[in-house]
Amino acid sequence: MTAATATPVRHRTPRTVGVVPLGFVRLMRMELRRNAMPWVLPLIAALFWFDSYRPSVGASPLYGLRTFWNLGQGHTILDFGPFVAGVAAWMGSRDGRRGLADLVTATARPRWAGQLATWAATAIWAVAAYLVFVGVMFAMYARQGVGGSPPWWYVADGAVGVAAFSAFGFAIGVYWPSRFAAPLATFGGFLAMAMSSQTGFGAADGWALILPTNSNGSFNGNPQADSGIFYHWLPDLPIARIVFLGGIALFMLGLTGLPARAGGPWLRRVAALLAVAGVALAGTGVRLAAGARVAAHGVIISALHDAADDAPLAYTPVCGPAAGVTVCLNPAYRRWLPDVTGALAPVLAEVAGLPGAPARAIQVPAAYIDPGSGGGPPQKITLGGQPPVLRLSLGQLDMPGPCGFCDRQVGAAGFANQLRLLFARAFVATGSGLGNPAQQAVQAALLQDAGIPFAAQPRLAQLAGNIPGPKPGPATGPVYAAAGRLATLPAAARHAWLAAHLAALRTGRLPLRELP
Amino acid sequence: MTTAGLRRPAPGVPPPTTDGLPRFAPSGLRLVRLYLISRRVPLALGLLIGLGALLWAALHWHWAVVGGAAARQFIPLTIESGTAAVIAVTTHGPFGEPERAAGRWLPWLRLGEAVAITAAAFGLLTAGATAGVLAGGSLAMLRNVGGMVGIGLLSAGVLGGAFGWPGPLAYLLIAEGALAHRSTTPWIWPTRLPHDRGGAICAGLVILAGLMLIAVRGPRESGRESGPST
Repeated sequence: MTAATATPVRHRTPRTVGVVPLGFVRLMRMELRRNAMPWVLPLIAALFWFDSYRPSVGASPLYGLRTFWNLGQGHTILDFGPFVAGVAAWMGSRDGRRGLADLVTATARPRWAGQLATWAATAIWAVAAYLVFVGVMFAMYARQGVGGSPPWWYVADGAVGVAAFSAFGFAIGVYWPSRFAAPLATFGGFLAMAMSSQTGFGAADGWALILPTNSNGSFNGNPQADSGIFYHWLPDLPIARIVFLGGIALFMLGLTGLPARAGGPWLRRVAALLAVAGVALAGTGVRLAAGARVAAHGVIISALHDAADDAPLAYTPVCGPAAGVTVCLNPAYRRWLPDVTGALAPVLAEVAGLPGAPARAIQVPAAYIDPGSGGGPPQKITLGGQPPVLRLSLGQLDMPGPCGFCDRQVGAAGFANQLRLLFARAFVATGSGLGNPAQQAVQAALLQDAGIPFAAQPRLAQLAGNIPGPKPGPATGPVYAAAGRLATLPAAARHAWLAAHLAALRTGRLPLRELP
Repeated sequence: MTTAGLRRPAPGVPPPTTDGLPRFAPSGLRLVRLYLISRRVPLALGLLIGLGALLWAALHWHWAVVGGAAARQFIPLTIESGTAAVIAVTTHGPFGEPERAAGRWLPWLRLGEAVAITAAAFGLLTAGATAGVLAGGSLAMLRNVGGMVGIGLLSAGVLGGAFGWPGPLAYLLIAEGALAHRSTTPWIWPTRLPHDRGGAICAGLVILAGLMLIAVRGPRESGRESGPST
């Protein structure tokens, strides 16, 4: 065996190692090219269009309402996540299914590093596709003139959610290299989302706010709020969710590095550390959500809240005249300015010149909770101040046009009648209730003069109050009799009577018998 | 290794069997058994038992999403679509070309396996449904599972046996969307009443098409055609 000793010793040329090893970049490129995710993306795109985009265009063109279904109730994650989990399980189980596990374990690179490259390629495809699909959806909203600003933090939530689903599925695939890993991971994803909905739809506060399908207090569709229009989308809850979902992703990835074949002892220690960090992060997210409280502009988490987010959004109002009164709205509501001025003009003309008649009308933000309502339903229209200003909280109303989950579209006439009724109530100061008989009679007379016949008024009151129940009775009785007498007075006489009795009427001290 | 020691049996003499039983029955049974094992049917049956147990638990403990019809049916429909996904994946065969070339009973085996495992799944889910009141009852479940299995088989025919699962699970989302928006096309049969003829016909047509495709053509083979499972 002298030949061996005669052979010159060859020294290995040291490799150039950058911040990211070149070999890993090559591996990533291969994994990206050979990934199964692109094959499933057309299906996800079709589902995304069907389940996330298509139903949303039936809602009013305001970001808060358009995205309530797809981002608020988590349908974008539902359309993506389970399928991403399935494909990730398929990719994670690849070596095991093909009987290559021993072969790849024997390569120079630790097994876990190779697996992480496979997972990263899957997650990159999935998250990139998610962002592209949501971006296209927002571009289409922008083309349709949707008002307000998009809830970007919830998009980030979704992206992290998709990454977490990919890590979940990948871990299943690594531990169970079977043909059934992919369907089971997808099924598990759907079941997790179902459980999230089961708990999330009902829980208005506490830890359940962390669930990605929970829209309570942060993304309400009904009563509607004005996030992204008058005030910022609060990032507190989305950040807590990112922490939670990121923790789940880390935990799952850490699990994949625990088996003996994953790598050396130090690498497995790193994996264990990652898993523990993931559990800690997810727990932190849940704890943050448990301490959340619903405020006027959404969910606030004290540990995460930035006071700068409470500042109102600056805007230049759009204004129009209604019977000599200037009506100004947020530009997000620009398309409805003619509806609002047209609806208010007849009632404003009736009360023009009377004490307490509005000098102008402005739009005010709708809130998640109204601290001034004393626990009762928030006021949709109020009148007050000196000079009197009519304050319209249009965010609480179904605006004319498509109406999401309503039975049918909201007609311009129905909207106008609702606005007139709310104005009449605000004018005679009955708050959100019907008022006393004299106040009811004056309201009825004002509405009759504005073109809403007595016969239609009980039904209108029921609709405006959103009161379920049987069809209301006919417009008869002493209230409507008094209203009839007031309505038949000449306009000048009615005006003079109102001028003389308005103060007593508003305080509720005027009895019905004192109506003319 | 050479063929020197092998002897051709005399014409008309059946080849020797290891257990001394007549030739056809055991070989036929053996073929069926090997076919079922190659399709991982025993494991699939285990998973189907698990899904039946899950349905039992969901009904027993009243797991239900608050809301309309879409929310109420979400968990049962998810379990039914999961069942169909598992059945679709059993169509995947590991042998490819040699099996196609040698197995003249292959179409019958594929058909028989699909029908038998669907029947078993229905039985297991029906057993699971005894724990409570399932929306629509067993008839609606038969229709839903049958139709979804059809979608799974069609999906296996198009994408490959191992990738038969996205079809039924995608259909779940479509059905949920249709339920939420009160669409009533018979092609989305979970939105129809249990005794509705249109929904039953559509589900029947889909499973028939799926069974025919799987029996005659088989699932898309990886390696032969490009697809996600290659």
